[in-house]
Amino acid sequence: MSTNTATLPVGRYAYDQIDRTFLSQRVAQFREQVNRRIAGHLTEDEFKPLRLMNGLYLQLHAYMLRVAIPYGMLGADQMRALAHIARTYDRDYGHFTTRQNMQFNWIRLEDTPDILERLADVDMHAIQTSGNCIRNVTCDEFAGAAADELLDPRIHAEILRQWSTLHPEFAFLPRKFKIAISGSPQDRVAARFHDIGLVARPGPQGRPVFDVFVGGGLGRTPIIGVLLRDNLPEEDLVAYLEAIVRVYNAYGRRDNMYKARIKILVQALGVETFREKVDAEFALMNRADYRLEPDIVAGIRARFGIPALDAPADAADTLAAGRKADPAFDRWVRTNTHPHRHPGFTSVVISIKPDGGIPGDVTADQMDVIADLADGWSFGEIRVTHMQNVVLGHVRKDRLHELWRRLVAAGLGTPNIGLVGDIIACPGLDYCSLANARSIPIAQKLSARFASPELQERIGRLHINISGCINACGHHHAGHIGILGVDKRGEEFFQLTLGGSAGNDVAIGQIIGPALPEDETVDAIARLIDAYLVLRTEGEQFIDTYRRLGAASFKDAVYASA
Amino acid sequence: MDVRNNRRDLTGTSVITANRLLDGRIVWLTGTGWSETVSHARIIDNADVEATIKQIRATPDARRVIGIYGVQLDPTAAGVTPLTVRERIRAFGPSVHPEFAPVETSDVH
Repeated sequence: MSTNTATLPVGRYAYDQIDRTFLSQRVAQFREQVNRRIAGHLTEDEFKPLRLMNGLYLQLHAYMLRVAIPYGMLGADQMRALAHIARTYDRDYGHFTTRQNMQFNWIRLEDTPDILERLADVDMHAIQTSGNCIRNVTCDEFAGAAADELLDPRIHAEILRQWSTLHPEFAFLPRKFKIAISGSPQDRVAARFHDIGLVARPGPQGRPVFDVFVGGGLGRTPIIGVLLRDNLPEEDLVAYLEAIVRVYNAYGRRDNMYKARIKILVQALGVETFREKVDAEFALMNRADYRLEPDIVAGIRARFGIPALDAPADAADTLAAGRKADPAFDRWVRTNTHPHRHPGFTSVVISIKPDGGIPGDVTADQMDVIADLADGWSFGEIRVTHMQNVVLGHVRKDRLHELWRRLVAAGLGTPNIGLVGDIIACPGLDYCSLANARSIPIAQKLSARFASPELQERIGRLHINISGCINACGHHHAGHIGILGVDKRGEEFFQLTLGGSAGNDVAIGQIIGPALPEDETVDAIARLIDAYLVLRTEGEQFIDTYRRLGAASFKDAVYASA
Repeated sequence: MDVRNNRRDLTGTSVITANRLLDGRIVWLTGTGWSETVSHARIIDNADVEATIKQIRATPDARRVIGIYGVQLDPTAAGVTPLTVRERIRAFGPSVHPEFAPVETSDVH
């Protein structure tokens, strides 16, 4: 279809009337299902799969609605709609998740159809944010902006979204299925910890090719994904992924949910056998039906609004002068910005981790502030990161100081990205019905303990990840320091892992010893960090020191008082 | 049902809980209906919990709630206090938002 480029939303895919009709019909369908449930015509067992297909869980205190943010991209108008939902239907809060989605924790079943209708008004939904299907495809939070990017991954993320949405073969897979895509040589999407991880780059004649990793994941059985195929041509992307998911659908275990993910299948068959089966399926397919021709890709690309990047020649000089004059601003620029492909611009990471705060939680008012700042500073475009922060992708360098002042005034100016205060934490036992222990209070105490920006910078890059149960929503296996909540006769204990990483140096953290009681955990981690500061050599980050020395030195510190 | 929801000792006392269908809120079985306030809950010997749940499930009223189960009480605590951290959080609200604690009212429905 033709598109009016003047009105395209920057950074995200523009819906057309077909998309909107589909969403509207879907809301009407769910409204009818809710009515039938309330009237008693559907049992909970009958209704549960229907509500889960619309992102509605029953959690510890109430229903929880998970709203899809495709590959983490949303517009200011959409953020304002989320603020409205938080204010009207929740308790003034929303929560950014590690899947680049947003969750609301205090939703009423009765209100859910109205909420979905409000979402549909701004081209949003909650479809496939739950259930055993292909979930929201995640991608690099700096997509289309990063200086090191080789290829904008959002176009192919959108193609995969369209392919996987209500795919008739893949609506009831053995388990949930997660895909991430990166177009940068620096893995910022944890590609090797996904069911399928795609790393894209330009190939022959400039057409994209993909390295395909499969069978990675965290949870009960953490496994690093294996390279199944390199240099996959763009035209075969959908066909090859369909072949992978078909093999998984056919052979994945359905008798044991703990062994149902594709990572278990890949390990059980062996990589070579799994590859043979995928290749055999791929060979049988009529690839012409799936072929991504350049004009198809161009059609998708054409529906993404592109920012008009235009900055004064002295924008960088203005920024440099501002940094020199204001040390607090200088520190924030050091920690919370990322190099942009245009010399006059930068990408800004807004920390959703205030000192002592709840990682990922934002108030309705803060959502409105972020929307206003996106309109004023970044073409109305917002990105949600898998680290539970928010990115404004394209900010002019000479306007950065004023943006920072606005962020500080809204309580959104914490300078801690990549540092010890930038903790990933799942909702844990404060909200989640699966959790064994609380994650948030540990995150809050650690964040408050290391609140000093000077101390955080001195400690350097350090990723702390906290999960309230073995399902690992806080990605604890991938943290430099991972914290896993465990239940011992109804009381909370915490097990520490060290040495995990989700980046190019991918690694699974190793358990260092017995789990600690809740009231000893934060002190133990503080001793561990103190030990690192003593043990490190010049220029080392925590992960370097750990890899050089191993766990023994840290173990002594952790269990010093035990 | 989650095995944790059935984890009770042979002796001791429990209260019975569920989530309300319409809004998902936690409710506690009283002598006359369901309350949002745990202190209103009817205290039952553990030996009688399963039979009481069976009785409740047989009533038309049970359609208004989801996931009925018994919650062991802490015999050493003052007032009606669940034994486990999980159930204390359900009873008294998320520990990180004291303002979200259930409001004590006399409502029973």
